[in-house]
Amino acid sequence: MKRKKLLLIVVSLILMLSLVVGCSTTDSNSPATTNNNASTESNNTSTESTESVKITFLNSKGEIQSQLETAAEQFAKENPNITVDVIPAAAGQSPFEKISSMYASGNAPALAMLDPGDIVQFKDNFLDLSNEKWVSDTVAGALDDATIDDKVMAFPFAIEGYGLIYNKVVLDKAFGGSFDPKSIKTRNDLEDAFKKVEATGVKALEISPMDWSLGGHFLPIAYTAQSKDPAQVYAFISDLKAGKVDLANNEVFNGLMDTFDMMKKYNLDKDDPLSPTYDKGPQVIGQGQVGFWFMGNWAWPQIKEFDTANEQYGFVPVPISNDPNDYGNSEIPVGPTKLIGVDKAQNNQAQQDAAKEFLNWLVYSQSGQDALVNQCNVIPAFKNIELVPNDPLAKSIEQYISEGNTLKFITAPLPADHWSKLGASMQKYLAGVIDRKGLVNDIESYWESVQ
Amino acid sequence: MNIEKNFLSKLKTYLIFAGPMTFAFLTVVILPFIYGIYLTFTDWNGISATHAFVGLDNYLQVFNDKVFWSSFLLTLRYVLFSVILVNVIAFFLAYLLTSGIKGQNFFRTGFFTPNLIGGILLGFIWQFIFSNILVYIGELFNLPIFSASWLTDPNKAFWALVIVTVWQYSGYMMVIYIAGFMNIPRELIEAADIDGANSYYRLKNIILPLMVPSFTICIFLTLQRTFMVYDVNLSLTNGGPYKSTELISMHVYNTAFLSQQYGIGQAEAFFLFLIVAIVTLSQVYFSQRMEVES
Repeated sequence: MKRKKLLLIVVSLILMLSLVVGCSTTDSNSPATTNNNASTESNNTSTESTESVKITFLNSKGEIQSQLETAAEQFAKENPNITVDVIPAAAGQSPFEKISSMYASGNAPALAMLDPGDIVQFKDNFLDLSNEKWVSDTVAGALDDATIDDKVMAFPFAIEGYGLIYNKVVLDKAFGGSFDPKSIKTRNDLEDAFKKVEATGVKALEISPMDWSLGGHFLPIAYTAQSKDPAQVYAFISDLKAGKVDLANNEVFNGLMDTFDMMKKYNLDKDDPLSPTYDKGPQVIGQGQVGFWFMGNWAWPQIKEFDTANEQYGFVPVPISNDPNDYGNSEIPVGPTKLIGVDKAQNNQAQQDAAKEFLNWLVYSQSGQDALVNQCNVIPAFKNIELVPNDPLAKSIEQYISEGNTLKFITAPLPADHWSKLGASMQKYLAGVIDRKGLVNDIESYWESVQ
Repeated sequence: MNIEKNFLSKLKTYLIFAGPMTFAFLTVVILPFIYGIYLTFTDWNGISATHAFVGLDNYLQVFNDKVFWSSFLLTLRYVLFSVILVNVIAFFLAYLLTSGIKGQNFFRTGFFTPNLIGGILLGFIWQFIFSNILVYIGELFNLPIFSASWLTDPNKAFWALVIVTVWQYSGYMMVIYIAGFMNIPRELIEAADIDGANSYYRLKNIILPLMVPSFTICIFLTLQRTFMVYDVNLSLTNGGPYKSTELISMHVYNTAFLSQQYGIGQAEAFFLFLIVAIVTLSQVYFSQRMEVES
């Protein structure tokens, strides 16, 4: 009796399982399912409609979503058989979250715009782009983070840079004449400038306390200004990981934090330093309520809305010492911050070709360049593009690039949660909850926890 | 033979009526759940095609992670205060709004409305209130408590979270309590009235015992929801200032997707599942024993 019952249960379980299997096989054969199986899909599309290809593009720069959609429409006009669907990833969040769920559901985008540090995770899924034409037209250094095992795995979409943005009208008034950003070469120069600005009755600067700004942009200056030689910078980061760096006695780090201490004294929101949101920055710098704001060129569209300085803005570096000749005192960090990879795991050959076509269109066609530079306001990473975005911050960065005064905008070698975890530590330091020693402790124990 | 036939016909009936449901439940709940548990023993990062088997390493890491435990304790504190406040407030709102005051239908709708707004939106609205409106009022009337944004102080930000949660759920729980109040047989209260019980004794000896089923449901719902809260946490404080209000769900999410340690995140999530299951099931078990028949 008992044995029979057991047998029955087993039989019924097998029945259930066969039901599951049966369903799943019919699933992948039925033409109704979308994208479940790239190869089936290609068979369907090639038989049903002639060579019309649909690709998706995951955009992680939320601020240019509508511009990219327009660009995709323009591209579709010129290439009638390809449609590009631009999908946004939530602004301010890691696109990695979005794309991992897209991969898990079998809906990987053909083109994925990611942060440089994420590319290495996709080396098995992304197409090798080494033989593309644009590779040879890329400006020096822009492919460093996109190159994995000597293969170019991604397309550098945008070059960005950051530093202390200044409002020229405020500064001209403070200096009594035309302000020369090159005159700021040391910490004392900067403090003088702050004092002069405060003498005119407005506040000196705004520090936006977002973790991505403090942990992702400000703190890494301490890594990247260690040496002119990129290899040395990478060595410094692997030493950090190995726990071999004595940060408490590191000259560059202490110099940067001394500057930060000085900046804290002149901060507009000194009394409640963690309260401002990102939106406050563009407002106070644009309206001339402060002279400086620590941020990057991506903030231009927002500053423009509040602009009272007749579009006269620019960058000064964050000085790390009082010696004008020190590396980092006249340089600002500049580098590719968004890379686009082409998926080969879940997109078929036609879709991969269409994706490559889109990238080439951006670099080589007139309308593509126009979309990239004039519409999206992106500083292109390609030598053949002569257009310059029509915004003062991008122009300021172009000037730093052409004069060779750049630091490496360090992204890829940092772990993915660096900005979030050490950003929180920088916030504590900004609010005075921990002192320099506590910060050093936080940074060192964070790097120890990184595997 | 007879049994066999009986069983087969039973199975047939079962498959016809509950088959699709069982299938859906298996594929979207049970299989992912088992697969998730399997992933806790691997070092998968969420994307790569291969992953290595690491045994119990992930669990060891979770138990040695101080940040995880402080986040867990913070969540317990949050759950404790939220559950008590939500239920106390909801109960008294329901008590008031069934006692026949003027415009009670209007008030019922009003208190219920916050629950119709999604948590994300609610968080953003309150973020604006805490960091702009209250600060403005504080400056206007010189109130030191509102002079700085509540969301920049770890302790006040925690209470901001509790306040928003109470605001969100007390209306919902109120509706359940109102249903409970309406189900109390009128004759019992009348009988107590005639026997000379005042309102305190009516509440203590008649209403509260008969309301235990409502308490069971409401406490279960609030426990489960506050343990799992993510949306309000995300939009109101986003874990800030400096990760001091990162509740457990957010910690799990960040570990899995931000730090790209999927296995560890899964292990944390599984641990959270066990805790929530134990707490809520024991709560339901004990409060059901307190239920009485009228």
